[in-house]
Amino acid sequence: MSKYGPALVSVALSLGAIVGYFSLLRVPLIRNHPLLYIVAFALAAAIAAVAALRAPRWPSLTALAISLALLILGSYFNFVMAKIPQSLIAARVGQPAPDFTLPDAKGAPVTLASFRGRSPVVVVFYRGYW
Amino acid sequence: MLTELGDEGVQILAISPDSNERSQELAERLRARYRFLADRDLAVTKRYGLLHPRGGEKGQDVPVPATVVLDRDGIVRWLTVADNYQVRPDPADVARVVRAIK
Repeated sequence: MSKYGPALVSVALSLGAIVGYFSLLRVPLIRNHPLLYIVAFALAAAIAAVAALRAPRWPSLTALAISLALLILGSYFNFVMAKIPQSLIAARVGQPAPDFTLPDAKGAPVTLASFRGRSPVVVVFYRGYW
Repeated sequence: MLTELGDEGVQILAISPDSNERSQELAERLRARYRFLADRDLAVTKRYGLLHPRGGEKGQDVPVPATVVLDRDGIVRWLTVADNYQVRPDPADVARVVRAIK
């Protein structure tokens, strides 16, 4: 491998993880395993670190700095920012769900209990503001 | 989930603090049986025990992402609550639960 090889591999791995995370968010398998990008950053850091230890030149040192920064940022995002405190959902399997009436996008009121006897219902709570 | 549950004869109610006009347009274009409901003051979110205080990007209160499947009698058959907001239930899992009810 050329003397820039490991550094290029390291940077490519980091960039690939970023592109993969943002462009494959719609793929449930990728989306539901956010640790994958952290593993990729850690691997990129390890490759750059080995290369830097063998020959401390600027390409591998730069790659090491980039991958370490991404590893720290990515870990902070995944383990701190995206974490949600444990919540005690008020619904229980086998019991009726709490009823509610809320306006739809056109302002018409929708009552959960009105679907009884008509169809199954999937209630999705989501954060909005995306 | 938008399209995978489209033809299952199931009503999907999506609740957030937003007013959701654009989400509703999108759902109608995809012919998905989504109805977006606005929980402006998060009263229903709180009643369900799903408030994440100051959990939003701008420090605002937001719901904890959660999915609850009810059968025709309004009985809860399946539910999942997120502990990392990047992770959402696999639509295929939800579709399987809904199919098992019918």
